[in-house]
Amino acid sequence: MIVLRLVLMVALQALILGEVAPFGVWSQPQWALWALLMVPPQLGPFSKLVAGFGLGLALDVACGTYGHHMVAGTVLGGALPSLHRLLAPRDGYEVTSRPIIRELGVNWVLGVTFSSALLYHLTLMVVDTWHAHLLGQAVAPALTSACWTTFCCMLLHLLVIPPGRNATRSS
Amino acid sequence: MRNLWLLLQRHAFLLVFALLLAVSLMVLIQNDGSARSSWFRTTGGVVSMVENQQQQWTNYLQLAEQNASLAAENAALRSRLLSMKLTDAWRADSTHGWRVKTGWLVKGPDGLPRTMAMATPGLDDSVRIGTGVLATGTAFGTVVDLGEHHARILPLLNTAGTWSCRLGQNGAVAPLSWDGVDPNKLTLNDVPRYVEWTAGDTVFTSGFDLKFPEGIPVGTVIEEVPSPGSEFKTILVTPLLDLKSVRHIEFIQSVSDSERIVLAQPMPAP
Repeated sequence: MIVLRLVLMVALQALILGEVAPFGVWSQPQWALWALLMVPPQLGPFSKLVAGFGLGLALDVACGTYGHHMVAGTVLGGALPSLHRLLAPRDGYEVTSRPIIRELGVNWVLGVTFSSALLYHLTLMVVDTWHAHLLGQAVAPALTSACWTTFCCMLLHLLVIPPGRNATRSS
Repeated sequence: MRNLWLLLQRHAFLLVFALLLAVSLMVLIQNDGSARSSWFRTTGGVVSMVENQQQQWTNYLQLAEQNASLAAENAALRSRLLSMKLTDAWRADSTHGWRVKTGWLVKGPDGLPRTMAMATPGLDDSVRIGTGVLATGTAFGTVVDLGEHHARILPLLNTAGTWSCRLGQNGAVAPLSWDGVDPNKLTLNDVPRYVEWTAGDTVFTSGFDLKFPEGIPVGTVIEEVPSPGSEFKTILVTPLLDLKSVRHIEFIQSVSDSERIVLAQPMPAP
């Protein structure tokens, strides 16, 4: 299911949703991140790392940006276990926990989503810009894009698995 | 081996992360011209810096060796230059011609009063007793004994030797010797009281001892030794080069050496 969700989101972003950028370079969303963020937090770190790498690889193949999303996806996949550990509830995650608002709360979902989006966009900014003297100009668009991506992911959360709805356990 | 395996297991996630990141960066660098140029510029700078550092260390470590090599080459070139100069200068003199042969010190003076020097070649290369010995253009000593392949040399740094020298190009002639104390101080004895001198004046060979041609530099004047009431004065002279570190030498002898030696003998009483 995780793989299917990743493929679906990558395809959607590459074909349709990638163009949803109302403020141009200031709001370039990464919708496919939502699929990675839906990976259950109690899953092993290797799975998250491979999922991040796979997401980047798929996005690069779909968008024709060879290497850019792979680097960003790998960095995010490597950081995701630490992020989940950092934001873990006091008693840890339950075996059946899913990263949705109804189960882990809006604060957790928002925190993980924004942190992940920020890391992803900053890494993407570095590999897109690459030259140190241009990084300063690219920070602000990366920050606003991270905010926009967070907004999009939260929107997907609300649309796909609303807080009041008893979602089907699929992961 | 087991510990290594345990170490790898413990850091497996980090290793896999590094591996995947390396793969991603490789793909990025291969496909993105900007990233590639920046990457190669950065790595090129680092490599250049490391190579420069390594080269500096290598140069520093080889400095002594290079210095010795350059010193040897320098001495050889000086010897050659001097030989050429001397040969040219004396070949033109049909009456008092000199010939030069290069050689190497096997044993040099060590600063002790009675130490003799030894050099090669010897008899087999027509070196004769009484031949003068130069080192980088300055007087060094004279041959006093000969073997088949080696020559024993009485150097300036030996208390047994006395050398006829001239103070300046046209000054007074006086015997030069060493008192066996300080290798940097030779003594020019019996200089007439009227002779004027200044520190730094060069002392040359006079040629009167038939060992050297005249005008070969020996040393420079340092000071006068006070000798109140004497008709002669004693002047201290410092050698032009460190005689203890000489390696390359030239044997110098007159073309008409035999005749000079015979004629220099005291006349028998009539």
